[in-house]
Amino acid sequence: MSTLHVISHSPFGDNRLSSCLRLLGSNDGLLLCGDAVYALQPGSEPLKALEHANLGARLFALEEDLQARGISSDAARAIDYPAFVQLSLDHDKVNSWL
Amino acid sequence: MKFALAVFSPGHAPSSRRALLFAQAALASGHEIVRLFFYQDGVHSASANVVAPQDELDVPAQWRAFVTEHQLDAVVCIAAALRRGVLNAEEAQRYQRPAVNLPAPWELSGLGQLHEAAQTADRLVCFGGD
Amino acid sequence: MAKSLLIISRQAPWAGPSAREALDIALAGGAFDLPLGMLFLDDGVFQLAPAQQPAQLQQKNLAANLQALPMFGVEALFADARSLLERGLDAEHLTLDVEVLDDAALAALIDRFDQVVTL
Repeated sequence: MSTLHVISHSPFGDNRLSSCLRLLGSNDGLLLCGDAVYALQPGSEPLKALEHANLGARLFALEEDLQARGISSDAARAIDYPAFVQLSLDHDKVNSWL
Repeated sequence: MKFALAVFSPGHAPSSRRALLFAQAALASGHEIVRLFFYQDGVHSASANVVAPQDELDVPAQWRAFVTEHQLDAVVCIAAALRRGVLNAEEAQRYQRPAVNLPAPWELSGLGQLHEAAQTADRLVCFGGD
Repeated sequence: MAKSLLIISRQAPWAGPSAREALDIALAGGAFDLPLGMLFLDDGVFQLAPAQQPAQLQQKNLAANLQALPMFGVEALFADARSLLERGLDAEHLTLDVEVLDDAALAALIDRFDQVVTL
């Protein structure tokens, strides 16, 4: 079983990302959208935490949110909405951190 | 595949627009949406009384157009809606409130509708937050 | 066979209707006899703290509703060990009978449910 976790809150001053990383399963994916893409800000603490979690190809970010915020990252695969839909089907379930 | 989508944020939240774009992409990819369910502050995404400035997005209006165009099953949680002042004509009359802001295409119903949709769908996807 | 749903409740109890509305999802599902679980995570564990007096805030007692969960058929109740520890809550003195889980057990818990809602 695999879960796609979706986070949309900024990782600064919010513990959704850190809680998510500690219960993430080895087949789970993580999609960052909205202010959560600030976690990919180069040189930031959340980016270090993400790199430490070693998600590899299981880390995704919504492309429009990256572009809107002027963030580019090699750490996450940028995806559009059709890919988001497909990603939700590639996993057994979707857990949005509301 | 069948999707049940739940929206937990008001129309001015980025996540309400994100849910709408996801829903549009799901239909465009040939999938089915068995139900849209609006809960917590998501009930405001269905409000007909939102007035967006002319040069800004009116996401509740876009939701309304989307639901109408595709004749989707769109349910607003009645308990969450009453608590937040989102009322259809029947509820406005029942509680003697001066405004109705939930005309068609929305239906007011209970949380059981969320569970039923989740049981029917291949995926339950929730949207909320920033 | 009905799909199982895990509700992860991570909101403190007296910051608005969020915690109650998370609980309402569980109670509504329990009434339909659906296989449900509830996990208290992050500030959600404050819902289980002893000696709360919500009447001081003119609020209804959430703990009483939480205790109704098993009567509604929701018996799979869990709390995150680290959230409790970080907040200085003693797992032996909670207002609800929950199974306390470590990080690895949390991942396994989420894995075994068909669907998850975190709010």
